[in-house]
Amino acid sequence: MTTSPALNSDRLAEAAPAAFGFRQRRRLFLIAMAAPAVLYVLALGVYPLARGVGYSLYAYNLLDLRRTHFVGFGNYIDLLSDAEMRRALVNTLLFTVAAVTIELGLGFLIALALWRDDRFNRICLTLILIPVTITPLAVGLIFKGLLLADYGLVGYWLAQWGLSSPRGLFASTATALPTLVFVDVWEWTPLTALILLAGLKALPIDLIEAAAVDGATAIRRLRKIILPLMLPAILLALTLRTIDAFRVFDIVFVATAGGPGDATTTLMLLAVKEGLSFFNIGRASAIANAMLICIALIAAVYIALIRGADRRANGR
Amino acid sequence: MRRTLDLARRLFLLGLLAFFLAPFLWLATTAYKPSSAIFSIPPRLSFMPTLDQFRGAFAVFDIPSLLESSLLIAGFSTLLSLALGVPAGYALARSQTRLAMAVAYGFMAVRMIPAVAALIPFYLLMRDLHLLGSWVSVVLINAVLNSAFVTWMMFSNFRGLPKELEEAALTDGCTQFGAFYKVALPAARSGVIASALFCTLFAWNDFLFPMFLTRLDSKPISVALLTAYGTNDITWGTLGALAHFATIPIVLIVLVLNRYFVQGVARGVH
Repeated sequence: MTTSPALNSDRLAEAAPAAFGFRQRRRLFLIAMAAPAVLYVLALGVYPLARGVGYSLYAYNLLDLRRTHFVGFGNYIDLLSDAEMRRALVNTLLFTVAAVTIELGLGFLIALALWRDDRFNRICLTLILIPVTITPLAVGLIFKGLLLADYGLVGYWLAQWGLSSPRGLFASTATALPTLVFVDVWEWTPLTALILLAGLKALPIDLIEAAAVDGATAIRRLRKIILPLMLPAILLALTLRTIDAFRVFDIVFVATAGGPGDATTTLMLLAVKEGLSFFNIGRASAIANAMLICIALIAAVYIALIRGADRRANGR
Repeated sequence: MRRTLDLARRLFLLGLLAFFLAPFLWLATTAYKPSSAIFSIPPRLSFMPTLDQFRGAFAVFDIPSLLESSLLIAGFSTLLSLALGVPAGYALARSQTRLAMAVAYGFMAVRMIPAVAALIPFYLLMRDLHLLGSWVSVVLINAVLNSAFVTWMMFSNFRGLPKELEEAALTDGCTQFGAFYKVALPAARSGVIASALFCTLFAWNDFLFPMFLTRLDSKPISVALLTAYGTNDITWGTLGALAHFATIPIVLIVLVLNRYFVQGVARGVH
């Protein structure tokens, strides 16, 4: 890996006598390869998003187009003073922090248990990944059905034994959001376990064994060697899960639809309801853009951390 | 000591397996229960298997047409995302400019856009283009988020491959595209398969985009599952039968291609 790239390119440049030099042709080729994806995402991703920013500055309802007018930051200011919106923000943050913490902790334990590469572990890993592959919609339905208080396989007994409200875990304000966290943990912990396991398997085993021979305890090996070397994998799992949990929609939509009351309303649910059920495009765009800003902030922090870890790992 | 530890580890994993599989098995078995068993109070675990629920599901839903829409959406979304993302990932990995790095991180950022922020303006754009109501619009929006994902994934894949082989091929008179197609691409095969798997998974399982972008005749099975749930006279048995078609194809694909799924995630870490 230490051969100088400049040397190779120079040799290549001599080998390709043409109207353009080799380097220019190489650059043109690489630009042509990247251009379709860049243009596509700009045209169908970034351009609509920019239009969305525009919509958020208008009072704009598809069902009442004649009253469309410019309101500036009016939609955003309304959101700040809106109780339902504040509730949705708090719910989303609580849900994200709780779900991601449990998923990373439990995922790490599972990854440690699966570390050794034997037949038993390989079969376990394959089967454990099944929740990740199921439609989130079906996941919501599964837990809705299991936890029904009147005839659900689990919910019936929970209600009988007084472990949940008589109307079920999803129907009580106190337990609805924690139950959704539980569902998310069921669905996504296997993925964090898989990412962390990949990180574990990339570790230099001899280094860890040398530390063990030198008398380092298991806890010390974990803290001083395993965790720091696994930082890229941990950051990746953390990033993916934080951003996905922040955007949670499917399981909430099916299992509680934001209820009871607004106990489980999330930002994404609120934006979909406003925009695509009430066709209140201006307000919905404002919520969506507020989410976009939050996610951009989360992503910026993580990307900075990942690039830092990447630079240290690759020596760049 | 070592043996007890190993036993404890295996018991822990078996407990986890039960935890992660039982809910899915419950939904799958519901499809074979007679309605009396589903609604029994208190709930029971044992029942006489029957295919009644499947008859019910086929009577209410046009399952072949639902599966056809799901297949079209998942298939074309995956193809388009790969066609756009794989070359872009290669180009960004092989270009050594700061701009290329910035663009790669830009693609990663696109993957993080909340679906609703993309969907609302996209919905209006599709309305203006008269594409609303067709599965084509679902493919187009899936490909935005997924091609960004594939680009990022292949960017990290190609970056992990040594360039020397391609450079040797180029010196030997291979064309630029040839060096990509014949040398780099086969070496990154598992990354491509993993990317395809994630795209298919996403497109097959998503219901938010098709729920608002398709009409009755083009809706996929995920949306039907939701409609069924929202209807009062549809029972859990019918839902279980319908969920068979919505979940089992994709679960089987991932089980068969498990190696690539695991490798893909592993490579993405670097």
